[in-house]
Amino acid sequence: MATQKRSKHINLRRMRKAFALKPLAVGVAGVMLSACSDDRQDARIYTSLDECKIDNPDAIAQCDAAYQTALDEAVRTSPRYNSEYDCEHEFGANQCQYVNNNQGSFFMPFMAGFMVSQLLSPSRYYSQPLYTSYSPYSSYRSRWVTADGYVFNGDIRKRNYRVRPDAFKPKPTVTRTMSRGGFGSSVRAKSSWGSSSRSGSWGS
Amino acid sequence: MLAAEYGFHFHTMYGEPYWDESAYYQFSLAQIENHIEDPTAEIHQMCLSIVDEVVNSEKLMKRFAIPQAHWDFVRQSWLNKEPSLYSRLDLVYDGVNPAKLLENNADTPTSLYESGFWQWLWLEHQVQEGHIARNADQFNSLQEKLVHRLGEIAQFYQVHEMHFACCKDTEEDRGTVQYLQDCASEAGIEDKFVYVEDIGLSENGLFTDMSNNPLLSCFKLYPWEFMLSESYGDHLETADTNWIEPPWKAILSNKALLPLLWQRFPNHPNLLPSYFSDGAHKASSNEKWIKKPLFSREGANISLLDNGEEKVLSEGPYGEEGFILQAYSPLPVFDGNHTLIGSWLVDDMPAGISIREDKSPITQDLSRYLPHIIL
Repeated sequence: MATQKRSKHINLRRMRKAFALKPLAVGVAGVMLSACSDDRQDARIYTSLDECKIDNPDAIAQCDAAYQTALDEAVRTSPRYNSEYDCEHEFGANQCQYVNNNQGSFFMPFMAGFMVSQLLSPSRYYSQPLYTSYSPYSSYRSRWVTADGYVFNGDIRKRNYRVRPDAFKPKPTVTRTMSRGGFGSSVRAKSSWGSSSRSGSWGS
Repeated sequence: MLAAEYGFHFHTMYGEPYWDESAYYQFSLAQIENHIEDPTAEIHQMCLSIVDEVVNSEKLMKRFAIPQAHWDFVRQSWLNKEPSLYSRLDLVYDGVNPAKLLENNADTPTSLYESGFWQWLWLEHQVQEGHIARNADQFNSLQEKLVHRLGEIAQFYQVHEMHFACCKDTEEDRGTVQYLQDCASEAGIEDKFVYVEDIGLSENGLFTDMSNNPLLSCFKLYPWEFMLSESYGDHLETADTNWIEPPWKAILSNKALLPLLWQRFPNHPNLLPSYFSDGAHKASSNEKWIKKPLFSREGANISLLDNGEEKVLSEGPYGEEGFILQAYSPLPVFDGNHTLIGSWLVDDMPAGISIREDKSPITQDLSRYLPHIIL
């Protein structure tokens, strides 16, 4: 018998949509945690430098360094907003600071914690700034979120995770978004035309 | 009801049935394998050989109307072997004679969800309810291959997240992109969405989504010829986004491919004679030719040249970049409907077919979608 020429199995649960096709806000995901590959490592989240030191009395210097690394990363990679209003909308009242440095002036959320791994490893430790939100409008509310928008499973009381090593990969520097709308003008130009055409699909 | 459960929102359009499950097409395995699957793989390889030639020739880049400022960008994407996700070859096939290539939708093909998922589910149900024999099959490994390929692409770029983008105000495109997001998710990739019009440019030259996350890897259901000519086109090279489809698809999806194919593989059984319209003296005037713009979507701006007389078949906004001629090969008519076969590839592997039919001889976007079986 010839081999079957159609997909053998389709995960119907994945395809079922209670709310079909609503644009997602920010993907709430736990991909770093849920992946089954076993190169994952233990990571712990601290909300202050002291917490780290109390937890690791024999690694005081590493705590200092990991905290500083996270702070530096935060300055470089944290989400940025043109207005305090936009920032607070995402992170909550009084959760944002004004920054004016050589990269410009903007608002960014305070670092709410830092995630470290392999603190006692002789080769190197990993450290990453984390944020959380107190805003009722945000999908980050009461969750840990990284600079590039990963939201961890579980609420902020959960401090221990197993993560893939790339969770600690340096994030690209993001400066403020200066403009929007540089793509899509051909649609406006061409879709005013025609009547038989379905509402402006650019597929073919 | 079932449609709503799976978010299938575009099964009727303007009151016309778009998805028609009252009927289906039936093929033999030999028809599928010998007449569609094998030629699809071969045509695709022929097309790739043309891409290889075009990126290495400034004269051809010009012929394909690739803006000169982006020649290097397009060429580099080919030399770097940036991975492609999928394409759809549109074929004229009557069930008996060799299938003929009408065009290669290599950049932004749609009706993916109907083909990969909906058609598959339809067969499952028909068989369960005893309407169709249990040993019936379908040429449709699209979803399986898409999931696998998205995983490979994530590996290639060493990423675990991907953005997905389409334009606003089109439920069909949003549906196609959501389907690909679901496939990516199935492959363990984190998917994020941004509308094409909302893409931003950061101070340091990266493209960003609405949360100011950089677009590191992005699937876009938006044609390359538009992106290259729009204002953010100037930032494509420095923004360093891994685009899916890759920039070299600007060549593969271009209708200038058709005359080039005919030049390089003359009289190939699966090709129709084709010429650039300014080389039309080669096209004998006592035959019928279809004139198409280099860039065109949804069958727009097509004319029929009959004995040297031009008759406009469909109007549209395209054509400023030039036209090609292709020998007129009418779609076969079954039961009063003109039938077009869309033959899918995921990367370079044939992955299934979709069938659209229309009362008129040119398949426009309101054509009905019909499922098929192999028996």
